This record gives sequence, structure tokens and C-alpha cells, in this order.
Amino acid sequence: MSQHVSQHGLKLSIGGPAAILARVAAIVGNTVREAGRAKLFYGLLGGALLLLAFSVVLSDLALVDQKARLVQSFGMAVIPLMCVGTAILLGAVLLHKEIDKKTLYAILPKPIRRSEFILGKLLGLSTLLLAELAVLTLCWWAVLVLRGGELTAPMLRGMGLQYVELLLVTSIALFFSALSRPVLSGVLTTGVFIAGRVTYVINDLLSATKGVFAEVPAMRALGKLLVAVVPDLGTFSVSDQILQGWEVPWTYVSAATLYGLSWAAVFAIGAVLLFERRDFT
Amino acid sequence: MTQPAEQIVDPSRGPEILRLRQLSKTFRVGFWATRVQAVRDVSAVMYQGESIGYLGPNGSGKTTSIKCMLALIQPSSGKIELFGRSPTDPLARARVGYLPESPYFYDYLTPVEVCEYVGKLYGLDARTRKQRTQELLGLVGLDQAAKRPLRGFSKGMLQRIGIAQSLMADPDLLIWDEPLSGLDPLGRKEVRELMIELRRQGKSLFFSSHVLTDIEALCDGVCILDRGVAVAQGRLADLLRRDALESEALLDLPADPQLEAGLRAELAKIPGLALQQLPTGVQAVLPTQAVPALIQALMQGGGQLRELSARRDSLEDLFMRKALQRSDGGQP
Ligand SMILES: Nc1ncnc2c1ncn2[C@@H]1O[C@H](COP(=O)(O)OP(=O)(O)O)[C@@H](O)[C@H]1O
Ligand SMILES: [Mg+2]
Repeated sequence: MSQHVSQHGLKLSIGGPAAILARVAAIVGNTVREAGRAKLFYGLLGGALLLLAFSVVLSDLALVDQKARLVQSFGMAVIPLMCVGTAILLGAVLLHKEIDKKTLYAILPKPIRRSEFILGKLLGLSTLLLAELAVLTLCWWAVLVLRGGELTAPMLRGMGLQYVELLLVTSIALFFSALSRPVLSGVLTTGVFIAGRVTYVINDLLSATKGVFAEVPAMRALGKLLVAVVPDLGTFSVSDQILQGWEVPWTYVSAATLYGLSWAAVFAIGAVLLFERRDFT
Repeated sequence: MTQPAEQIVDPSRGPEILRLRQLSKTFRVGFWATRVQAVRDVSAVMYQGESIGYLGPNGSGKTTSIKCMLALIQPSSGKIELFGRSPTDPLARARVGYLPESPYFYDYLTPVEVCEYVGKLYGLDARTRKQRTQELLGLVGLDQAAKRPLRGFSKGMLQRIGIAQSLMADPDLLIWDEPLSGLDPLGRKEVRELMIELRRQGKSLFFSSHVLTDIEALCDGVCILDRGVAVAQGRLADLLRRDALESEALLDLPADPQLEAGLRAELAKIPGLALQQLPTGVQAVLPTQAVPALIQALMQGGGQLRELSARRDSLEDLFMRKALQRSDGGQP
């Protein structure tokens, strides 16, 4: 059933978890390779490194005991942002490129499900982003040490949370790129990202006693809708709390991870549903 | 006119591997979502070991229906069975090798890497992949370029890598979209020979072509499309033999208008005879068995027979006739 033996005795494993995994792995491999060739990727990586170098210069202006602190907060803010940029741009372009260059037409007719293809793209991009985040974190660590600071366990956990956010943004990007053309899907993803980053602010405003969100009913409804349909990305940005000495306990990390992965799954499933209905003419 | 698929079932044939049931596809284009009917109610069936030519001019709907067979496109209505399954089932597609129309692959990969990748998608193990890659790149004559990135490959070379990857998993059915187009004469000859060899090995071949010449030797059966409609299908021998039973004659009619009218009236009584004015004279196309009646009518009516020959239809004649019938026959 799950295996097919060809006319000349070749064994094809088609069904079953191992076969599915092998196919997804093949897509992941090719995606990493393709995305890893993109000039865009190296541009963003180079930009992030430049910004880190800039933070060193900037920290010269700071008070002696504030130097490491500045590098620390700068890194925690800038590194994830640069990776999010990569996720949004590559996520918007990757699927479209396969359609545009017609490479998809040779791949989808193979015994592979469209869901496996999307999963492969998602995991491939995630792998690349993990590499980017790791490289940048290493450089950041070097700069921190240079400025008399250190990379603490809470800071590492904080970066881990940022990676969960990256996974989520990647699946949002794939969702929109299964839906529309690259520019629009990039814009939409950016929109959701920004909205997600500020939902906690809106939440605060909603529960305040004064202000437009508290007092104007239409704004209140809009705010509530936004809070309901957009994942709260503030969950994954804890650098301020870390600076104030918060330990980022594992209970928080696991709850936030579960939250992020659930949302990522929602968007990934949405991407698959959209992608499965598409005609590739 | 169009034979219903059910009528050509023949128990001596192998198992059914592909069936189209009233396949239709309508695209909506532009701001007003104008309907373009690319494929209309095409029914066909194919058996193991057969080689079927899917023929028709550009834009007749070949690629669209082929993409439906591979689940790249969802039919608007109708159904496709591939090895008794839906084309969306990977197990059905596992037995198919598809060559896209003007194939494209990742241009940063080498032929070896393309084959490896495709082999993985078919669930072949590493050793088999390596062995098949080597065999197939040799078969299509790409062993010299095996480790060069596809960027910079000519169209003919891309077609070769397309063919190699379609054969990777030793599929039972090859679905090739325009395998002969875009090749130079030598390349065409090589691909034709490969197709004949694959057929000899017992592979089933479904291929499309917009060029009707020089493919007669490649197919047992044809399905001819015209503007999305299957206008003729069946075994090539049957389709063309029927036309070998026709004759064509070149006539001289009497110069006297009254005699001419009389003779024309006599000729019109011969069943199945059609007259056509050619620059060289009047041509009559008629069933071969009616030739004696024609000669008799000519002798009595003062006409002359200048030429008489059996009508050997080519695929092109067949297509032209069917397409004309359709335009005249009041079908939209
Ligand atoms: N994506 C599409 N949108 C609109 N019309 C299309 C699309 N793809 C094909 N068509 C139309 O469908 C018809 C059949 O095209 P196609 O299947 O490519 O023909 P063939 O392969 O026989 O040359 C053509 O009229 C073509 O313009
Ligand atoms: Mg075509």
C-alpha cells in the first residue's frame, strides 16, 4: 500500500511517516539552498552586522557602567528585527519565485502532497532563520564581551523566544504569499507584524479609563477585533524585563512557545488550504 | 463523431490506467472574469502499454488537460482517474513520469542534483538514486554536462534533463507535454527513437504534440483536440483506414452548360460523393466502392476521368476535416 515496486523492480516509498519525512526533508534542503543563495539574505545579514558594529561605536558615548547595557538592549532589539525582515522578504518571495520560474510545475506532480511542500518551505526558511539568528547572536556575544558584559541565560532564553516569533512571522508570510503577489503579501505580513507588536499597547489602552480606545465605541470595537485576530507578539519580546533583572523562567518560555507555535500552526494550515485550492496554469 | 470512451473498450487490452470523464476546464480572465473554456467535455481512456498521441494546434487545450491529469489544475467539471485513483493521490502520481511543456528546473542545480532531488521525492533510496541518475543521464546524453549548473543550458539540453527526471522512478506511464517541440532535427530523431524504445520496454506513453507530421509511427491511438473539444479519437489504424476506403478523382466536365448541369445532377445521385472546384479541374471525393458508378455516369454524361487514386489520409487531413466539420456543423 505505502510502497510501490516499479516495472523494473525499483522500490518507491510513498506512504507512511518515514516517506513523508524524507520528502519534506528534500524540500527543506532545497529551500535552504535556494534561500541561502539570495542576495537579499546576505544583504540583511550584513546590515545587521553593521548595526551591531554601530552599537559598539554608540556605546562609546555611554557612561562606563552603561556600555554593556547599551549593547545588550540594542542587540536584543535589532537582531530579531533584522531576522524578521529576512522572514518577511524571503517568505514573500520564495513561493512566488517557484511559480514564476515554473520550477513548481516539475515538483508538484511528483508523489508529494501540497501540504508537504508548504511544510518543507516553512521548515527550510525556519532553518535558515535559525542560522541567521545564531550567527548574529554569536557576533553580539563577542561585542558584549568586548564591552565588558556577558551573555546570560535569561538573555539566551529571550533570544529563544524571539525565534518562536520568527517562526510565527514566517508562517504568516507564507500564508499571505499563498494568497497574493509578493509586494502585497510583504506589506500584509509587515502589517500583521506591527499590529502584533503593538497589540499589548492597545490592550492597555482598552482597559484604561480614558482615551479614544476606551471612550469611542467604534475604536473600541476595532481595538478589540485587532486584539482578537492578531497574535500578541509582545509575548516574545522580553528584553526590557531582562534589563530589569527578570529571569525569564522556563514556565514562561514554554507557555509563550506553545502560544507562538499554535498561532504559527493556524497560519500554516491556512497557507496549506489556500495553496491546495490553487491552479498552477 | 466523437467516440464515447466506453465504445472502444477491448478485452484484449491491458488494464485501464488513465480515464478522463467529461473533463472540462473554464478559466476566468481579466477584470470582468471573462470565461475561457479551455477544455470541454473530453472523455478518453487509455490502457497499459498503449501509446497515445494527444494532438491539436496551439491553444487547443492539451496542456490544460495534462495539468488536470497531474492535479496541477482542478477540473471545473468532470473527473480523472489515474491508475484507478484521483490524481491528487500521491500513490497515483508515483507511477507517472511527467515532462512539462518547456521544462524549467532550479538553474543552480546540476543535472545530477536534479535527478537526486526528484529521486528523493519519489522515495527512492540513495543507492538507487545514484544508479538511476547515472543510467538516465547517459541515456539522454548529458553525461558530459552532468555536473554543470543548468544555468546556461540550451533548450534542447533542458528538454533532455526533463526527460531524464521523468524516467527517474521507472514509471509505468509517461505523460510528456510536447516532447518534440523546441528540438533540432537531430534531437527530434533521438527523442523519437527513445519513445519507440520506451514503448518496446512496455511503458505507456501519453504525449501531446501540435505538429501532426512524423508522429504517426509513435502512437497506437490518438485523441485530437480542436478548441477544447475532442474531435476524433481511437486507434490510428481505424481512423486512417476508414479514409483509405475513400477515393479521389479529378474530372473534366463537358463544356456545354446544359450537359454539365445534367452530369452534375447524375453525379449528385451517387451516395457519398462530394464535388469541389480545384484550379486544375473538378475534384470528386467518394467511397471507393462507388467508383464504378462514377465512371458510368461520366461515360453517359460526356465527362472524362483524368485521375483516380485511393485517398490516403494523413493525420493533418483528418484534423482539418474534423475541424471543418465542427465549424460547419453548427457546434459553437
Ligand atoms: N491560466 C489561464 N488563464 C486563462 N486562459 C488560459 C490559461 N491557461 C490556458 N488558457 C487558455 O486555454 C486554452 C488552452 O491552452 P493550452 O491548454 O495551453 O493549449 P495547448 O497546450 O493545446 O497549446 C488557450 O486558449 C489558452 O489561452
Ligand atoms: Mg501546450
